[in-house]
Amino acid sequence: MHPERDKGDGHVANAPVAPARGHRVRTGRLVRLGVLAALAVLAGTAGSAGAGEALNLYSHRQPFLIEPVLAAFTAETGVPVNVVYASKGLVQRLKAEHRNSPADVVLTVDIGRLSVYAEEALLTPVESATLADGIPAHLRDPAKHWFGLSKRARVIAVSRERVAQGEITRYEDLADPKWAGRLCTRPGSHVYNRALMASMIAAHGEAKAEAWARGLVANLARRPQGNDRAQVKAIHEGVCDMALINSYYFGKLAHSDIPEQRGWVENVGIVFPNQDDRGTHINISGGGVARYSSNKNTAVRFLEFLAGETAQSIYGAVNYEYPVNPAVTASPEVRSWGDFKEDSLPIARIAELSPAAQRVIDRTGW
Amino acid sequence: MAALRCRLPFARPSRWSAAALVLALVLLAPVLAVFAAASGDSEGLWGHLFETVLPRYVANTLVLMAGVGGLGLAFGVSTAWVVTRYDFFGRRLLEWMLVLPFAVPAYIVAYVYTDFLDYAGPVQSALRDAFGWRTSRDYWFPEIRSMGGAVLVMGAVLYPYVYMMARAAFKLTPHSLFEVAQVHDRSLFRRVGLPLARPAIAAGLALVLMETASDFGTVEYFSLETLTLGIVNVWLGMNSLPAAGQIASLTFLFVIAMLALEILSRRRRRYVDTGARVVSLPPVRAGRAASAACLVICLVPVTIGFLIPVGVLLRFAASGLGAPDYGEVFAISLNSVLVALAVAALVMTAAALTVAAAGDRTGRPFKALVGLASTGYAFPGPILAIGVVTFAGAVDRGLEGLVSGMAGLPFGGFLTGGIGLVLFACVVRFQAIGHGALASGRERLPPDVMEVGRTLGRGPAANLFRVTVPLLGTSFLAGGLLVFVDVMKELPMTLILRPFGFETLATHVYQLAKDERLEQAATPALFIVLAGAGPVILMNAALGRIGEGRIGTR
Repeated sequence: MHPERDKGDGHVANAPVAPARGHRVRTGRLVRLGVLAALAVLAGTAGSAGAGEALNLYSHRQPFLIEPVLAAFTAETGVPVNVVYASKGLVQRLKAEHRNSPADVVLTVDIGRLSVYAEEALLTPVESATLADGIPAHLRDPAKHWFGLSKRARVIAVSRERVAQGEITRYEDLADPKWAGRLCTRPGSHVYNRALMASMIAAHGEAKAEAWARGLVANLARRPQGNDRAQVKAIHEGVCDMALINSYYFGKLAHSDIPEQRGWVENVGIVFPNQDDRGTHINISGGGVARYSSNKNTAVRFLEFLAGETAQSIYGAVNYEYPVNPAVTASPEVRSWGDFKEDSLPIARIAELSPAAQRVIDRTGW
Repeated sequence: MAALRCRLPFARPSRWSAAALVLALVLLAPVLAVFAAASGDSEGLWGHLFETVLPRYVANTLVLMAGVGGLGLAFGVSTAWVVTRYDFFGRRLLEWMLVLPFAVPAYIVAYVYTDFLDYAGPVQSALRDAFGWRTSRDYWFPEIRSMGGAVLVMGAVLYPYVYMMARAAFKLTPHSLFEVAQVHDRSLFRRVGLPLARPAIAAGLALVLMETASDFGTVEYFSLETLTLGIVNVWLGMNSLPAAGQIASLTFLFVIAMLALEILSRRRRRYVDTGARVVSLPPVRAGRAASAACLVICLVPVTIGFLIPVGVLLRFAASGLGAPDYGEVFAISLNSVLVALAVAALVMTAAALTVAAAGDRTGRPFKALVGLASTGYAFPGPILAIGVVTFAGAVDRGLEGLVSGMAGLPFGGFLTGGIGLVLFACVVRFQAIGHGALASGRERLPPDVMEVGRTLGRGPAANLFRVTVPLLGTSFLAGGLLVFVDVMKELPMTLILRPFGFETLATHVYQLAKDERLEQAATPALFIVLAGAGPVILMNAALGRIGEGRIGTR
C-alpha cells in the first residue's frame, strides 16, 4: 500500500487540491481513462463500413449460401461485397440507422420478411427493364420495391415404404383423420409454414383454413419441433410417415457431405401437392435496394446480376432452388424431382395475409 | 468562503453521483426504448394473444423457471455443501471442475444433447443394438426437445451460479456457529449452514432464474413456447413490435420479481463477523461409503454440464468431417476475446461508479435507478438489441442534426454501423453482473470499515476509493471474469448488431449449427469453452480465497 500512496501524494503535490484527495484523483483518472478508451473504441470502429465502393449487404440468407454468387459478382464487376447476416432484427437496425445506414441491398429468404422492409419504407423502388423481363410479375412487388430471386416449393415428403404413391396429393389431405399420428412439421410460426397458411387462407378463406389447421395439428405425430431437415430425419427414423418441407432440403440432404444425412432421404419421396387445382405453394428468396443506399446504381446492378443466368444457375446448383427467370433451366438435381404446377397467386398476397395466418396458427396451437 | 469549504466534501460525491446518474440513464435508455415501442398501437393484437397463446407462454415460462431453478438449487447447494463439509477422494479437483459448466453456452449443450440423445445418436443406437429394436416404434425414449430436456440442459449449465454463491457462504460461516450446533447435536446443514447461506443461495438462484427467463437460444432450438420465443413470434410473425414490446414488458414483471428476491435476500443478510479472519468449517474426512456418495453427488452435474458436452464436441472435432480453417477460427477467437475483454473492463468501470454513488446515503431514488439500470440483464437478447439500436439511432440522428445541421460537417453515423453497438449492448446486458459482484462484495465488508472512513471526514466517494476499492480487489476480479465469460457466450445481440463481416465464436457456431453442420461447429464451440474455462477457474480461485478468510487483507 505504501509505495502506492507515495506515488499518489506525488501527484497531489502538483495539484492545487487538498492532499487527502490523492487517491481520488488517481482513481478518477483511471475512470476517465476507461471512458476515453471506450470512446476511442467506438470512434475507431464507427463508420468503417461506409468506406470505399464496396456493396454492403444486409442478409437473412446465410453467407455460405450466397458466397458463390457474390464471388461471381465481384469477378464480373470488380465490386467487393460486404455482408451482415442475421435471421432477425435487421429491419429494426436498418430503420434505426435511417439515413446513416451503410446498407445498399437487403436479401431475405421469405416473402413475409421482404415485404416488411417495403412496408417500413426501407426500400427504394427500382425501375429496371432487366428485372421486369427476367422475373415473372407474380414474383415481384407491383410497386417495384422488392423482387423474387429464387423459388422454393413447400412439398410433402413421404416415406416410400409407408405411404403409397398417389395416397396423398393435396395440402388439404393433411387434415384427413386417416393420417392421425403420422405427420411431422416444424412449428407453425415458422415463416415457411406461416406462408403456407397464408396461401390456404387465400384459397379457402380464414374459417376453412383454420379448420384445416386444426385437422393438421390433430394428425401430428409429435409436438412441432426442429427444422425441415429434422422432419425428413423423423420420417427416416419412423417417428412419422410424412412431413412438410421446402423442396431444396431434399437436394441438400441427398448431396450432404455427411453420409448419415444422405441415408435419411433414401426411402423418402417428394409429393408436389395440388397439381390438379391451384398448384403447389411456392415461396421466394428475394431482395431490394435500401432506401438510403449511397450506391444505388451498383445496388440495382447487383439485383440484375442476381436475376441473370449466372446467379440463377448458382442458386440451383448450390442450394437446389428453382430459378425465377424462365429463361434459365433448373439444375439437373432439381429437375430430377419432376416438373410441377406452381400456385400463381401473387406472392405479395401471401405477405398481406401473413398476420392473419399467424393468428390462425396461434388459435390452433400449430 | 468558509461556507464553501464546508460544502466541499459534499460537492465531490455529488459529482460522482451525477456521473453515475448519467451512466445509469444511458444504460436504462435501451430498456426505455423497448417500453416506448410497447406503447405503440398493437391494433387489438393483445386481446388475440391473451385469448390464444399468452397463457401457454406464461405457463411454459413458469414451469421452465421452476424446473431450472429447482435443478439449479439441487445441484448447486448439494455440491457446495459436500465440498465444504467433507474431505473425500477427488474433492480438490471437483471443487473447481464444478464451475466448468458455466463456460459452456446453454444453446451449445442443447445442440449437443439433441445429437447425442436422438434416434441416430450413440445412446439410442447402443440401446437398439443391445435389445434388438429396429425402429423408434419399438421402444419409448424420452424426447430431448421438450420441457424436461430444456430443464436438464439449462439447469446443468446454470447451477454454478448457486454453487459459487452457496460455497462462498458456507465457507464464510464461522466455525464457531457450527460448533454450537455440534454441541447441541443438531444438523449442521439444516440448522446452521443452510439458514445462514440462504441469502447467498437466493441471490444465485435469482441469477439462474433471470438467465432462464431471458434465454432464447435453447428454447428456440427446442421449440418451447416461452414468453421469449413468443415475443419473437409476435414481433416477426405479426409484424408488430408494439405487441412484442408489450409481452417483453410482461416478462419484465418476472424480472422485477427476481430482482426483488435478490435485493431482499441481501437485506436479510445482517450478520457480520468482526474477526479479521473467518475460520471456516474444517472438512471432515469421509468414510468409504460417504466418500463414494460425495463423489457421485459432485460428478453428476459436472458430467451432464461439462464432460458429456465437451466429449461429444471432441468426438465431432475428431471425426474429420468438415475440418475447420484454423486461421479463420483463430481470427474469430481474437474478435470474441477482444470484445469480451472490452466489455468486462467497461462494465467494471461502470459498476465502480454506480456502487460508489449508491454508497451515498442521500441517494435512495438513485439506488432504485441503478437497480433499474441493471434490468437489461433479464430482457431477451433480441428485444434488448432492438432497444439498443433504436436508442443509438435516435442519438445518431440527434448528433447528425448538431454536426451536419449546425456545423455543416459530413456525418456518417457514430454509433450505428460499428462494433461500438455490440459493446454498448453487452454493457447494458451484463452491467447487472458487475454491479452485483461489487455490491455484494461491499456488503460483506463490516460497516465499521466504512464508518472509520467517515470519521476521517471523507465523503462516500472518497471512502469508496480509499477504503472499499482496495478491499474489493477480489470482487472486481470475480465480476470482471464473470462478465468476460458471459460475453464470450453471448449470441443474439451480437448477431443483430455486428458490423459487416464481423464474426464472434458464438455467431460462427450458431450459423454452422443452424445448418446442422455440428462437425464444423465443434471446434469453434470448443474454443468458446476453452476461452471461458480459464477465467471460470480463476474466478473460482478468487472466490475460494474469500472463503479462506483472506478478505480484508487483500
